[in-house]
Order: sequence, then structure tokens, then C-alpha cells
Amino acid sequence: MIDVFQKRFEAEKRKAFVATLFVDTFLIFYSFFLVYFLSLSFSHEVSYASQNLSGSFLGMMLPVSALIAFVWGRWGRSPGVSLVYRTNRYLKSVVRDEEKRQWWKKPYGVFSFVILIGTFVLGFQITDVSFRSLLSEEGMEGAKRIFTALITPNWSIIGLVLTAMLETIFIALIATTLALPGAFVASFFCARNLVRNSRSASFLSVILRTLFNFSRSVEPVIWAIIFSVWVGIGPFAGMLALMLHSVASLAKQYAEEIENCESGPIEAMEATGARNIHVIWHAVVPQVLMPFLSFTIFRWDINIRMATIIGLVGGGGVGTLLMQYQGLAQWNEVGTIVIVIAIVVWMMDFLSGKVREALL
Amino acid sequence: MSNTSKPILEIKNLSKIYDDGRQALNDVSFSVNKGDFFGVIGLSGSGKSTLLRCINRLIDPTSGQILFNGVDLASLPKNQLSEQRQKIGMIFQHFNLISRKSVLTNVLLGKLGQASLLQGLFVKFPQEDIDRAMYLLSIVGLKDKWKYRAGELSGGQQQRVAIARCLMQKPEILLADEPVASLDPATSHGVMDHFEQINKEMGITILCNLHFLSLVRRYTPQVVALKGGQKVFSGSSSGIDEEWFKRIYGEGAKEVQIR
Repeated sequence: MIDVFQKRFEAEKRKAFVATLFVDTFLIFYSFFLVYFLSLSFSHEVSYASQNLSGSFLGMMLPVSALIAFVWGRWGRSPGVSLVYRTNRYLKSVVRDEEKRQWWKKPYGVFSFVILIGTFVLGFQITDVSFRSLLSEEGMEGAKRIFTALITPNWSIIGLVLTAMLETIFIALIATTLALPGAFVASFFCARNLVRNSRSASFLSVILRTLFNFSRSVEPVIWAIIFSVWVGIGPFAGMLALMLHSVASLAKQYAEEIENCESGPIEAMEATGARNIHVIWHAVVPQVLMPFLSFTIFRWDINIRMATIIGLVGGGGVGTLLMQYQGLAQWNEVGTIVIVIAIVVWMMDFLSGKVREALL
Repeated sequence: MSNTSKPILEIKNLSKIYDDGRQALNDVSFSVNKGDFFGVIGLSGSGKSTLLRCINRLIDPTSGQILFNGVDLASLPKNQLSEQRQKIGMIFQHFNLISRKSVLTNVLLGKLGQASLLQGLFVKFPQEDIDRAMYLLSIVGLKDKWKYRAGELSGGQQQRVAIARCLMQKPEILLADEPVASLDPATSHGVMDHFEQINKEMGITILCNLHFLSLVRRYTPQVVALKGGQKVFSGSSSGIDEEWFKRIYGEGAKEVQIR
């Protein structure tokens, strides 16, 4: 019986090694990249943007990194091993014992720390942080011009702006509403504590989570561009973009809430011999319903803010109006819109906050 | 132990190793006769909870057999589990009621295993079930509380609702996992008395995890003791003397009385 466990442990170790290799190769490859650019940016006065990574550099460094990663991961404790083992329930205990020694005394810890510091240093170089251009005389002049226009808004277009703002609010509302049922159903399949015992449900769960992660990692602005080509510029495109993003975000938030719910009632319902759908309906749903509602209202709130941005790329509503005036450099009109957006967003934020407080 | 009655539950060489390599049960064997009030004692982490959860398969055992009326629960496929679970009631340390639902609904949910899909979703049970639920509530002395939300009741009351929910299943055996560990001493005896009554009057076999030896001596005639996942004692609870107590609970332990 110990053998059975040992075998599973070994199998799990082999599986984990693939993930380990992947992580380590990336990290080591990245460290080469880091050293290369840091040395460049400090040795001569060349900017990051003028650099162009040659294919041969990449082609050479990748196999070298993979080789180092293999050796390190196979015979030592690499960052990847440490990361992957800690998140694997079968292998956790291996790292747990070694955790007693401090990470900064270990090669993987030092390596990760140096990479982290290097990343920040390079980050400052790449983003070109410069107080000189922020405080230059010419720059200050421009800032003064735009701020003056913004604080002397043109109120004659207020009717137009409010109509567009209303459109934005409704885009957000419908996007949230349409996202809700899909996210609700999907979240139960995404929650790890519910699918753990069924192979087919776990499989579906992995597919759903991958799909959602993908649709979430593509910004709604990008989706809006895609949909504005698909269904034409306007509120519908913006609504679709927001909806896609909302389904994924809500499903993730819902699923996390389900994962955090008390397992006791679930056990109690399972113990009666109830079927899974009954267990979920009686033991899980009552626990998560109010938090779900709260998340949904918060999502609407977020969506109103996002919908204004989406309008900038043709998603309709107040954003589209803003983009038009900005294109014509009519800063007084832009000022009006910005003030209206600020007030409405603040009001919705306050309102949704109060409603959510009342719900919980 | 009465040799005339036959075992309802036989545990044979039961072991459980958790995914992280922790061994919670190590080759545990014992048998429970029909009608027994059977105690399981041991320190926290000795494997008592794991043992009970293996029996109704809330946890899958790693190896060994659990014969319940001759059916091996340990190797039972998932789709036949429901039928057996319906005959096994379970009581938990933290009651595990649905706190937002009414007391009556909570008791009715004990029938969830037998309910059809729609019946279960809408908690639409026939009048006879509702009558039975009310009758069971009157047994545990909570008939007038049926309308309350379960979360509004005190700990002892919640555990009594849980007992009624369990009885709603008409179980052959009742697994009680530290049923009084989160109750105060006076309430503990009230709940334990209910178990005794159920055992004596309804003839339901009870397997009960307990912390306190004094409760074991008072209520459960038979007992098995676990230590580090292994069985260290089994037999009549009156047989646990000072020496055995030290062996089960460790040298430094002192016996505490619950009155």
C-alpha cells in the first residue's frame, strides 16, 4: 500500500518535472535577456526602443537555457522545482521539510531575488522615467492650456453628453445582465472543490477556465475593436465586448466564492446520499447567493467605467463622444464630458457600495 | 458484548494515506454489532474523523474493507454510493445545518437522498414526510422552533436539529463525529441523552467519536481507541483503567471529568 503511494508520488514527480522545465527555461532565458539589456542600457547611451532582438540571439539562447534548466531541475533545487512542488498537493511535503532552511541561503532564492531586482532596474530604464520632461517649461505651458480649458467646460452640450452617458450606463447594465446566467452556471464547474471528485467535470473545468482566462487576458478594448468590425461601430459592439469580459470575470469571482464556502453543509448533504445537483443547490447556493449579487452589482459599476473607455475605440456611448471632441482638440467640450463622467461614476460607485453593504 | 447479534459493520485492515503522504489510518480492524452504542476515542489527529468519513465515503480509503451489512463500502462504485449512504446517518461537530433555511426544511433535507430531482430542488415533500419531520422535532424537543432559521438557534439546539435531520433518513447506523465537542458540558449531556434514547428505543446502531473518557464510560459500552492512526484498544469501555488511559492519551495526560 505504501508502494501504491510511492508510485503515484513518482508519477507526479515526473509530471511536475515538465512544468518545472518550462518555468526554469523561461526564467533562465529571461535572465540572459535581462543581463543583455542591462549591460546595453548602462554601457552606451542607446534607448531600449532602438534595440531589435535578432533571431539568432534568441535561437542560441533558448536551447542553452533549456539545457541549464534541465540540469538544475534534475539534480538540484531550481526556482521552478520550488514553485511547482509547493503548488502540488502530492509534492508539497517534499518542500515543506526544506523550508526550514532560509530561502536566501539557497541558490534558487538568490537567483530569483536578483532577477526581481534586475527587472525593476530595467523597468525604470525602459519606461524612460524622467522628471526633466515632466517639469520642463514647454511641458508646463501645455499642461496649463489643457487644464484651463478643462475647468471652463462648455455647458451648452450637456444634453448631448447626458444622452451619451445614459447609453454608456445601459451598455454596462445589459452587458452585466447577459453575462450573469452564463457566469453563474459556469462558476460551479470552475470551482475546484466541487469538481475534484469527478473526472469529466474536472476536464470541463480545465477547458472552461482556460477559455475564461483567455477572454479575460484580452482587454475589453481589444474585443471592442474586434466587435466593431464584426457588428459595426456602436453600442452593440461595446456591449458584446464588455459581456465577454464580464462572463469570464464574474465566473472567476463566483468560483472563488464557491471555493471559500463552508464545506460542512456540503458534507452533510452528501452524507444523506443526495445527488450532486441537490448538494450544490441546498448546501452551496444559499451560502453564495448574496456574495454573488454583490459581485454582480460591483461588476456593473466596473463596467460603467470600462464602457467609457470602450467608447474611445468605437464602442458607443460617452466615450465615442469624448473621442470626437478630443480629435477636434475642443478641450472645453472634453472638459464637460470628463466632469459628467466623474460625477456619474462617483454616484454609481457610492450607490452600488451602499446596496452591497445592505446585501451582506 | 452480546455474541448473539451479528455485526452490522465490519472494518477490516482499513488504511488511509492522504495525498500529502500523511498516514491517518493504519491497518485498523474492528466490528460493530447491530444495536451497539459504540465509542471511538483518541487524541485530536489520531484518525477518528478520518475513520468515520471513510465509512460513508466522504473520504475514499486507501486500502482495506468496510463491510456494511456485508456490502464492501470501500470498493463501492460511486453510482451505488447514494443507496448505501441513505442508510447511514451522520452527525458533525459543527452541526452543518443550512443556516439560512428553516429548522423544518433542514430536517426535511435528511430525505434528500430519497427525493426525486424536482422534489429535492423545491423541497416539496409529501405531507407524511412533513408530519414525520415535526414528530422528530418533538422528540428532540424543538417542535415550537420549526419556523426559525437554523442559524438563529443555539449550538445545542442546532445539534438536536441535526439529529432530527439524521433520523429523517431512517438510518440503520448513525455516525457521530465529535457531536458534543463544541457544546458546553450541560448541553453535551442533553445531546448524548438523545443519542442514548435513539439507540435504546429505535434500535439504531451508533458509532460515536468522543474526546472525553468520562462520556465514553457513561454512554458507550463498547469502545475502540486510536492512537496515531492505529488501533490501540478495543473492548468494553469499563476496561479502560489508568494504565490504558496513559497509553491512549500519552504519559502526561490527566483525565478530566464532564459532569
